[in-house]
Amino acid sequence: MEYVSLTIGFIVIIAGLWAIMTNRNILRMIIGFSIFDTGLHIVIVSLAYVKGGTAPILDSAVGINEAIDKIVDPVPQALVLTAIVIGLGVTALMLAYAMKLHKEKKSLDIMSFRDLKW
Amino acid sequence: MISPIHIISIGLGTAFALGFLNKKSNGLAVSLMLVAIALMAAVSSSWFIKLYQGAEAIEVYTAGFKPPYSINLRMGLNEALLSSLINLAGFLGGLYMFKNLKNTGKHAIMVFLVFVMGLNVIILTRDAFNLFVFMEVVSIATAGLIILIQDGKSIQAGFKYMIATGIIAGIFLLGIIFAYYFSGSLNIDDISNSNLLAFKGGSVAVLMIIVSVVLELKPFPANGWALDVYEASDPGIAALISAASATAMYFVLFKLMPIADLQWYKIISTAGLITFVGSNLFGLKQTGARRLLGYSSIGQLGLLMTILGLKPFLGDKFEYIAITILISHYLAKAGLFWIAGLLKKDKLKDWALLRKKPLFLVLFGTFVFSLIGFPPFPSFFGKWELIMSLSQQGLYFTLAMILTGSFLEGIYLFRWLGYAIKMESNESWTFKLEWNKVIPPVLFGILVYLAGYYSSTFAENFNGLYFIALAFILIIYLLDFLPAAVKNILSILSLALVSWYMLPGLYSEDMLRFIFTLIFLVGGILTFIAGFAYKGKREGFYPVALLMYAGLAIIIRASTTLEFFFGWELMTAGSYFLIIRGKKSMAHGLSYMLFSMAGAYAILAAFGLSFAETASIQLSSLAAVGGNITVIFSLLAIGFMTKTASLGLHIWLPGAHAEAESDVSPMVSAILLKAGVFGLMILMIAMGNNPEATRVAYVLGWLGALTALVGNLAAAFQEDAKRLLAYSSISQLGYILFALAMMSHLGWMTAMVYSINHFLYKSILFLTIGAVVLKVGTHYMYKMGGLIKNMPLAFIAVLIGIIALAGVPPLSGFAGKWLFYNAVIDKHWYFQGVIVFFSGIIAFLYLFKLIYSVFLGQLKDNLRHVKDISIWFAIPIYILIIGLMIFSAKPDLVLKPLGEMISVWYPNAGLSWEGGLATAPYGYWNGTGVMITIGIMFMALLGWLLLLSSKAVKVGQFNIVYSAEAPQRPETTHVSYNIYAGYNKALGWMVAPKITEFWDTMSDWAHSLAEYGRRLYSGNGQVYTTYVLAYIIAFYLIMIF
Amino acid sequence: MRKLFIIIILAAFGLMLYPLIQSFSGNDHLSELATYYAQKENIEKVNSVNLVTAIVVTYRGLDTLGEVTILFLTAAIIAFFLKGPSTLRTLRPNSEIFITAARVLVPIMVMFGVYIFMNGHLSPGGGFQGGAVIASAVILMFLAFPDAPFQHKFFGFMESISGLVFVGLAALGALIGSGFLDNTILPLGTFGKLLSAGAIPVIYSFVGLKVGAELSNILNEFKSVQSDK
Repeated sequence: MEYVSLTIGFIVIIAGLWAIMTNRNILRMIIGFSIFDTGLHIVIVSLAYVKGGTAPILDSAVGINEAIDKIVDPVPQALVLTAIVIGLGVTALMLAYAMKLHKEKKSLDIMSFRDLKW
Repeated sequence: MISPIHIISIGLGTAFALGFLNKKSNGLAVSLMLVAIALMAAVSSSWFIKLYQGAEAIEVYTAGFKPPYSINLRMGLNEALLSSLINLAGFLGGLYMFKNLKNTGKHAIMVFLVFVMGLNVIILTRDAFNLFVFMEVVSIATAGLIILIQDGKSIQAGFKYMIATGIIAGIFLLGIIFAYYFSGSLNIDDISNSNLLAFKGGSVAVLMIIVSVVLELKPFPANGWALDVYEASDPGIAALISAASATAMYFVLFKLMPIADLQWYKIISTAGLITFVGSNLFGLKQTGARRLLGYSSIGQLGLLMTILGLKPFLGDKFEYIAITILISHYLAKAGLFWIAGLLKKDKLKDWALLRKKPLFLVLFGTFVFSLIGFPPFPSFFGKWELIMSLSQQGLYFTLAMILTGSFLEGIYLFRWLGYAIKMESNESWTFKLEWNKVIPPVLFGILVYLAGYYSSTFAENFNGLYFIALAFILIIYLLDFLPAAVKNILSILSLALVSWYMLPGLYSEDMLRFIFTLIFLVGGILTFIAGFAYKGKREGFYPVALLMYAGLAIIIRASTTLEFFFGWELMTAGSYFLIIRGKKSMAHGLSYMLFSMAGAYAILAAFGLSFAETASIQLSSLAAVGGNITVIFSLLAIGFMTKTASLGLHIWLPGAHAEAESDVSPMVSAILLKAGVFGLMILMIAMGNNPEATRVAYVLGWLGALTALVGNLAAAFQEDAKRLLAYSSISQLGYILFALAMMSHLGWMTAMVYSINHFLYKSILFLTIGAVVLKVGTHYMYKMGGLIKNMPLAFIAVLIGIIALAGVPPLSGFAGKWLFYNAVIDKHWYFQGVIVFFSGIIAFLYLFKLIYSVFLGQLKDNLRHVKDISIWFAIPIYILIIGLMIFSAKPDLVLKPLGEMISVWYPNAGLSWEGGLATAPYGYWNGTGVMITIGIMFMALLGWLLLLSSKAVKVGQFNIVYSAEAPQRPETTHVSYNIYAGYNKALGWMVAPKITEFWDTMSDWAHSLAEYGRRLYSGNGQVYTTYVLAYIIAFYLIMIF
Repeated sequence: MRKLFIIIILAAFGLMLYPLIQSFSGNDHLSELATYYAQKENIEKVNSVNLVTAIVVTYRGLDTLGEVTILFLTAAIIAFFLKGPSTLRTLRPNSEIFITAARVLVPIMVMFGVYIFMNGHLSPGGGFQGGAVIASAVILMFLAFPDAPFQHKFFGFMESISGLVFVGLAALGALIGSGFLDNTILPLGTFGKLLSAGAIPVIYSFVGLKVGAELSNILNEFKSVQSDK
């Protein structure tokens, strides 16, 4: 299973990159970026999986003494939380940029924003 | 001590607390932010002081758990230094942007504060994922700061930046998470210990981590987004991005490199090298200041990256090299961006406005010179060590590329400096200077000098006393408000003091150095006397003139190659400013600087090669070089020949000398050129006896002969008196080169006599012609004429000068010629000798023209009331004439001890002296006797003429009836206009500006290459992401093959 | 042509990722680091039932601080970036059902958000999740009552005060505890109870408030670019 999710994660990453690099519409690029991020998150979570493990929260099913044998790796789960929030912040800022860019030239085509070059 | 973790508490706490303030207290908010940054700076700098005094580095564990279980921060010496630098830049940057921040409001202030705090954490943290988080903090804060000015361009730049860094950060995260999976830890030290490179997946993880940090350092060509950021954001922000962010990211790469291996170091160094050269090449075509600074920043980062990549080869020198270059870049780039913000002009050509505020012009020059690595700045010492280490390791290609990149950088930076100093500008400085925008660049300007001094204390065998000279120059600069006469006296006194201190010891020990000191310093004093003729303040003249003389004195006193190079570069810098002071000198100043820089790099490379072989930087160790002698000898010769303006390297000279001020022309001609001669002599003394060097010297001999011919021929065709003298200098230096290259006793004697003569008569001629030009207001000889009665003093001086130059008895020029023929016969260089002989005849053509068309013939109507030259010019001229007479009459005073000294190296075939009578293998000569004989003959002839003159009929100027119409171009009727048209038809092809065309073509090629290449940066943010990804792939391909 | 180039690049990128899959072998047991976190004596040092929360708030609390900072930054940047005159738009009035449902749901959603972050150390969830739920209540408000005034002063105050408490507690750990972000500055309490795990629930609650306030601020800024006629 973990191979499947890892591979899917990679595919989503590449799909996201494809979207960023081929869509000239800025909003689509941002969506591509979100897809790229999501792929990363899938990869992170896949790496945390331990065969037969469960969520790293102790309760009646997983006692404090047997946690070591029953849970999946909690570290990537903590990391993915951070990564998601960062991705959220970046996406929000990109959207704000998109609004401003649209306001400036009434266009969302990345090709219209080439005033700076060479 | 306050724990470094509280840098975070202070920064974030204040940022959060700023939210309580209302809209009206924005000023308070900025002040609070500055207080917070100052506190952060206090924490980091107090750690720096403590660690510098030898305390152990400390680790801070968060949450009370040891790593890898929790995140740890490390405060070591490097961390403390860099975070202090970042906080300092943050503080000054915040001060600089006080108004912008205040107007934008508290939210922008928070972002600024968090930006500085985030950079600190990036430096301190030892946890890979934490590093990622705070890199994102900084990158988002940067995206926010870019749009502080909120214009369309900055928004576009910010978006490109976000997309590019978003992808880079994603790749970085991917690398980290796999590093965790493979190594079981997020701590950087654990990751580096777990040998990820042992298997394929691990290597890819390492690749992703390293390549994304490299991409954050904006490597060429995946850096279009970064250029836009530099160009579009507020200069205050660009200063921080260039100084502070780059410093932090560089340290991140340094911190992460241990996870990789030697192969990776090599890749990094190559990537850096490509960036350094590529970025500086493209910089050539830039016309906007901020984008240009962007290219330069990226170039410098490339250089730093190369240095990091070379770490395994540089050994314990690495830190010194990296820190000196990093600090130079940090101070200079921030300073330049700040100045750019003050000036509010983006076009390079509009920077001429800057000279309305001399303080900023000085700062601008300081930063430019420190970027390129001139002394006394830290990067000079860093580059020196770098070149030495590279040649020791045999990394010649890297060495050559680094010098090429620096040279390219020099082209555009000096062109820009030239615009600021010389470009036409009618604008006036209308806007007010606010103190908060003045303090930061001024402070960084001071710091870069202090850092330079401090760096020099680490250099081996370097005499810190040389900084006293620089301090004196600084004092003179600070006294610039005084009238010129006062500064003139001070300058003369200082040169006199140095001569007094240096000359007596040298007379008994080292005749060679004695003579050159005489030429450099006493010559300096004499030319300064002429300076009394100038009224007003003559702002900026004295510091730069003294800088040149300080450099000249240092190359005489230098005992190591480092000291020599230090002096050489100071002299170059000083003379550059002297030359560019001339009226139309912008282009000439630049070409002088570029030839000098290329020459200096040749010298530097040669010193490096010699160090690699002999493991010593003593000048005397040049003699011990064996293996690479041809290369070293040639490089040094080329380097010195850029100063002697030998054929091919001479195109800077005519314009530079002709356009210079009247008393500067002799400084840069009679005196400065001798530095090249001195260098050549040092070189030949050290290596001359080696048969391989002799082969190179043979080529130099030919070069000297041809230079003599072409120089004289070109001089004959000039209409401009100063240009004529300038070409004549080229040719005279060709004689000297030829004589030196003979490498025999008589050859060297000839060279010395020529050097002394050239100094004497070229000073006389340039001073006199310069003084005449000051009076008549034109350089062109056909606009003069008949001045003999108005200017008898000038006439006599020029007459004596040309007699000496022509080598006609009785003056010392004849002594030179006599020695020369003896030497040529002795050496059997007949064919070259004939060329030189022939060019000596051509000299008569232009010398005749000089005296005839200026002083004889018809007096021009508008010059009817011209007075004789200024007394202040006449004094040094006649002192020099007296010197010339003494040297002509009693040459043995100098030549005897000189001969004794030369016989140390060339014991055979010297002169033998009996009183004033010198005997050479092919003849004898008595200076005193010749003088007396010719004197008697001259008197007799003069008496005869006077006797006859009573019979002559005087014809007044208007005693003829003019007929026909006035010609359209009256100057063409002047007898000396195009006087040698016939010769020009026959021989003109030899002086056709082929060589100038050659260099122009080279320059055109470089510029077209830059123009073509920079189209890579199409402006499309999407394309830039493609580059980023392609860059990663390229690294991967390099890694697997 | 360009697409072909991109395809080649992405294919190469895919090939580059392949060794990662090749070297990946799944996990049969916890890594050394995770094992440490899951050991009984170490769990008791932090006393949080939710191990992820223990890591997020305590062991790797500095990351979380950075994370909160990022949201804070985003909110601040958007606040000054999108400032300026708003453009007019016309809206169709909302349906009665939607408005009524929103009235019922918004308080429940806020309460649910608060529940999530207060129980972050006991059950799945935590400050970010709770904050996000609160923000979704705010977005529902915006949709249902476009004209209702937004208390941005209140949200700004919430944002600042919760940030300060977070930094303050963290620094307190360094001053009186054994390190920055040490959660034992408050009593560890009984394992599995609401008031346990030392400072974790306090910190996480304020993180929740902060995230909620920040996201709401961001949403409000986006909304304020357009205003109703």
